[in-house]
Amino acid sequence: METYDAVVIGGGVIGTSIAYRLAETRHVLLVEKTDIGAQTSGACDKAIFLQSKKPGFPIKLAKASRQIYENLEEELETSIEFHKGGGMIVIEDEDHIEFMESFVKKQQKAGIDVTLLDSKEARSIQPSLAEYIVGATYSKEDAEVNPLKLSQAFAQAAKRRGVDIRTHTEVIDIDIQNGKVVGVKTTSGYIATELVVNAGGPFAGKIAEMAGVGLTIMPRRGVILISEKINPMIFGNILCSQYIAAKHQTDEENKKKPPYGIGLSLGQTKSGNLLIGGSREFKGFQKAINDEILAAIARHATRIAPAIKPIRIIRSMVGFRPYTGDGLPIIDKVEGVEGFVIAAGHEGDGIALAPITGKLVVSLVENRKEDQSLLKPLQFKRLKAV
Amino acid sequence: MNDMIICRCEDVTLGELISHIENGSQTVKSLKLQTRAGMGICQGRTCRVLVEQVMTYYADESNIISSSVGTNFPIRPIRLAELAQNGKGDP
Ligand SMILES: Cc1cc2nc3c(=O)[nH]c(=O)nc-3n(C[C@H](O)[C@H](O)[C@H](O)COP(=O)(O)OP(=O)(O)OC[C@H]3O[C@@H](n4cnc5c(N)ncnc54)[C@H](O)[C@@H]3O)c2cc1C
Ligand code: FES
Repeated sequence: METYDAVVIGGGVIGTSIAYRLAETRHVLLVEKTDIGAQTSGACDKAIFLQSKKPGFPIKLAKASRQIYENLEEELETSIEFHKGGGMIVIEDEDHIEFMESFVKKQQKAGIDVTLLDSKEARSIQPSLAEYIVGATYSKEDAEVNPLKLSQAFAQAAKRRGVDIRTHTEVIDIDIQNGKVVGVKTTSGYIATELVVNAGGPFAGKIAEMAGVGLTIMPRRGVILISEKINPMIFGNILCSQYIAAKHQTDEENKKKPPYGIGLSLGQTKSGNLLIGGSREFKGFQKAINDEILAAIARHATRIAPAIKPIRIIRSMVGFRPYTGDGLPIIDKVEGVEGFVIAAGHEGDGIALAPITGKLVVSLVENRKEDQSLLKPLQFKRLKAV
Repeated sequence: MNDMIICRCEDVTLGELISHIENGSQTVKSLKLQTRAGMGICQGRTCRVLVEQVMTYYADESNIISSSVGTNFPIRPIRLAELAQNGKGDP
């Protein structure tokens, strides 16, 4: 019988990061239903934003992950197109100024290097923006990475550490005896193991079910447009304050809510393609989208950045953010099922948080003291109905 | 021959594809995710058939898994200004 110290389920950015770290001391098998990075982690944007996070714990977590990015290319021995290009949040509407001013103050207090720019200053950094915008916040600390390369880089580095990777293999059951994990059943046979990590992203709920654990992670659909390659014209990542308002305000406070939960996210990849997002909707795992969403995203983006109007769109992407309800992932052991760990639910921040997630899972299974302050707010029980 | 370009839009050579197949790639999607073959402006209209052929020729037959590399909207490149006019106008 095949035996491993640990089985990681899911080969997205999260599962590959975890497998890589666990392999420091364990013989690990990574099981992926399709291809490495082919699901959410291959249908997403590339931003590592700090300034858009909620002050308090979310910023602390994001900073810890951002810190690891500083040396990650050296560590993984390959380019992941990590680039400190800065980030901007465009304020379109006078009504948002007050909210954004207080937001910036809180961010500065939390130690984020962010400043409020007027319209002219913002346009001197991003000449593509419309004249009518009222201002923008800007931070040099925001960065970006190529998410496709990130999953591949973690997977390759994991392989070098002895991790076996089985793609096109699905975990179909988790074998539990006397409250303990003893193995997993896959479409290519049974694997004995005492440690299983559920890194199934938006599919994590189904995997938890195999262990008899109720876990609600909903797919929050997002659509992104991709353009032809063009010379550099967008510098760093751009969001709009609508996005922040949608993320941090209640519906009551944010009255002018756009349709499909649209908020701008605009950036340019190293190869020259523009990534233009995006929407936030609950539509199950429905991949088919109507033209109206695409048109609405194009309208929103060309209003804020009219200079992109003549650029051609070559395709669109649909991805499903793993949504837990409070914007934070679950990284925890499951009480009552010894050896079953959940590391999923990173919603719109999985790329930014992948590096720290691998480290936290190791701390968790090694019962290390030092990361307790980061793990406590990510406990499973915070979301369980009591 | 390994220098032969298979995907012209993204400059992907036969050699690159072969090395990924030897490294365990079993689907056209996996090749696409790792090399960008098929992600260019023509969205694989020129290279898809070639990439599929490379896969069947160089991979061990029993390892190939057919996966649909679905074509996503739009069918042909469309300018943002035009796309923005689609639909019902500002809702
Ligand atoms: C439109 C959009 C834009 C985004 N932009 C950003 C951004 O700019 N910055 C950022 O930080 N984040 C962003 N995100 C969020 C980020 O993409 C996700 O948080 C992240 O990709 C989640 O990774 P994951 O590994 O948990 O999930 P996934 O990548 O979905 O990986 C889970 C894997 O598990 C596999 N699996 C499922 N069930 C089984 C099974 N039974 N057996 C074996 N394998 C199984 C699946 O095939 C899948 O590959 C964005 C997301 C979307 C949708
Ligand atoms: S030739 Fe490969 S995408 Fe055009």
